[in-house]
Order: sequence, then C-alpha cells, then structure tokens
Amino acid sequence: MCDDTTIQIVDISTPVMNKNDRFAASNRELLSGKNIFTLNLISSPGAGKTTLLESMARFFGSKMAVIEGDVQTDRDAERVRKAGCQAWQIETGGSCHLDAEAVNHALGHMDLESDELALLCIENVGNLICPSGYDLGENLKIGLISLPEGDDKILKYPSLFSRISVLIINKMDLLPHIDFDVNRTIDECRSLNPEVMVFTISAKTGEGMEEFCGYLENQFSG
Amino acid sequence: MHELSLARDMTRIIGKVLGGCRPLDTVNITIGPLSGISPESLRFCFTEVAKMEGFGEPKLVITETEAKLICLDCNVEYQAKEFYQGCPSCGSFSRRILSGREFTVDSVEIMEGTD
Ligand SMILES: Nc1nc2c(ncn2[C@@H]2O[C@H](COP(=O)(O)OP(=O)(O)O)[C@@H](O)[C@H]2O)c(=O)[nH]1
Ligand SMILES: [Mg+2]
Ligand SMILES: [Zn+2]
Repeated sequence: MCDDTTIQIVDISTPVMNKNDRFAASNRELLSGKNIFTLNLISSPGAGKTTLLESMARFFGSKMAVIEGDVQTDRDAERVRKAGCQAWQIETGGSCHLDAEAVNHALGHMDLESDELALLCIENVGNLICPSGYDLGENLKIGLISLPEGDDKILKYPSLFSRISVLIINKMDLLPHIDFDVNRTIDECRSLNPEVMVFTISAKTGEGMEEFCGYLENQFSG
Repeated sequence: MHELSLARDMTRIIGKVLGGCRPLDTVNITIGPLSGISPESLRFCFTEVAKMEGFGEPKLVITETEAKLICLDCNVEYQAKEFYQGCPSCGSFSRRILSGREFTVDSVEIMEGTD
C-alpha cells in the first residue's frame, strides 16, 4: 500500500451568485436603456400577487408588462392578459424561484419597444424563502403578505423582509374578520429594514390601489 | 429548496476552474449568516449533486462568518451570528447591514496519489 498522497489545494474564490448577478446587471442595463421601471414581486402562494397585477393592469394598461413565474401552467399570464396587458409566462419546471437568466430569456421574447411601456412587473414563484437572494435586475423588490397568513410572518422570513424596498399588506378587506395586527407587522418589518415603504391594500376591492399605483408612477416618471 | 440550485452552481463553478469534473477530497466554502442559506440543507444537496456529477464524495467545510451591522439608533458597529441579534449597546434592531450575505466557494482540495 502506498499512502504517499499529497493534497493539492485549488483556489476558487468565486461568489456563487456571480452568474446570476451578471445576468441581473445585464437585465438592468437593458431595461433602464428602454426607460422601463421593474418590480420583483415576492410572496407566499395565494397572497394575491396575480390579483394585484390584474388590478394594476386595469390602472396602467399598455404602460405595463408582466413576467409571470410559476412552477407550472400559464394560468396567471392568461389572467393578466385578460386584464389588459402584455404577459410572458416562465414555467420554472420545479424550481422554487426565478433567476436573472430566466428573466433574461423572457425579455428576449417580449415586445419592449413601445414608447408607452414604462413598468415591468415580475411575479416571482410563490415562496418567501428561495426568491429572496436572487437579484433579477429589478428596481424595486416588493414583499407582499396577506391577512389570512397571520401577523407573525415578518420575523420568520428575515432574509426576504430585510431586503425589500416596499412591503404590501394585502386583503385588508378581511380585517374585520381576522385577528391581524397591522402595526406589529409594520414595526417588525421596519426593525429589519428601517427604510421600507408600506402600503396597505385590498387587491380585490381596490382599497389603497390608487396610492400604490401613484407611488409607482412617481418612481418611473419622476 | 434553492439550496439545490446553489449546489449545482457550486459544481458548475468548480468544474469551470478545474476544467472538468474529478473526485474532490474537500470543498471549502463561506456562508454569511444573513445569506438566507441553510447550511444543513446545502450540505445535503451538495453531497447528492457532487456525487451525481462526478466530483466524488468530498467533505464540505463551511466557514460561517459573522455579519457586520451598524446600529441606526446609537451608531455602534457590531457583529451578529444571526438576524435576531440586536445592538449589544442599546438593544435596537434598527440597523444597516454592512456584510453578512456572502456565499463563496473558496477552494477545493484534491488528493493526489504519488506513484
Ligand atoms: N378577500 C380578498 N381576497 C383576495 C385579495 N387579493 C387576492 N385575493 C384572493 O386570494 C386568492 C389568491 O390570489 P392570487 O392573486 O392568485 O395569489 P398569488 O398566488 O399570490 O398570485 C384568490 O382567490 C384571490 O381572489 C384581497 O385583497 N382580498
Ligand atoms: Mg399568482
Ligand atoms: Zn444601538
């Protein structure tokens, strides 16, 4: 037996997110070159992302385009198209998050040339953990939670809620029926993330939508 | 389970530097406490992915760093091992994150028999 082995150490020194971040930078450059303001919308399944986008589509019309990320089916893209704007579906085929490369491919399929187009909304895969670390090239990362999920979610998912620029609390129409401490949620999010902007809305009734859409309009026209 | 895609990213990066796959003895990585990565779940995924992709069954050595934060209430700079650790001087959670989200493949070790 020969135990005369040596160990060769090979230096790698590479951030694992490098590739994603390169695609994100290229998306950001492409989109800002076309004056398109981009949102990355993250929540649990069922919190109301698609409903919010339908409501926004009615507000913004052809100023807005949507990329839908789902594990399977293009139902959400179909819903948003019906509400009046261009939508492209990414089927991730099992992956629990979108990455910047997938968004880059989607952008290649979309019509981004219209002068009217000013807002791109990306609906991420429903999940509060996995999408949080993937920069897609967006201008704003938005976290959305809804009343039925309970008011203890913020501190359970600090990786997401410490990174977002905007927190949306959805399904406010259910407040009379549900024990949900809105102020606690806002305070906890600010503790992780002092500069976060907060909107309380009901994507279903339209409550708070004008304020939120007005805020976005200021971002992309201001 | 984004740890599965992260494990695949790791083998892609290693394969690129080595110019292909080969059995590894050790893989050294660094994970920050605010990276949102679960070390146990990454270890589980990486073991499977490495084996499947021809990198053998390397030891995964994880260096867990401390995050650097600055308190927005009293300006103290401090280190933390996890999200739920507030300012040691005033207890506040209001802070800016200076570092703690890193995730890098640092090096790999390859056993070479001398024959
Ligand atoms: N009561 C109420 N229901 C809502 C609201 N927004 C969405 N929903 C409902 O929540 C369910 C999931 O919504 P969806 O938009 O598909 O969630 P997504 O998985 O985050 O895209 C649907 O049944 C919606 O009708 C809201 O503001 N109030
Ligand atoms: Mg949806
Ligand atoms: Zn302090």
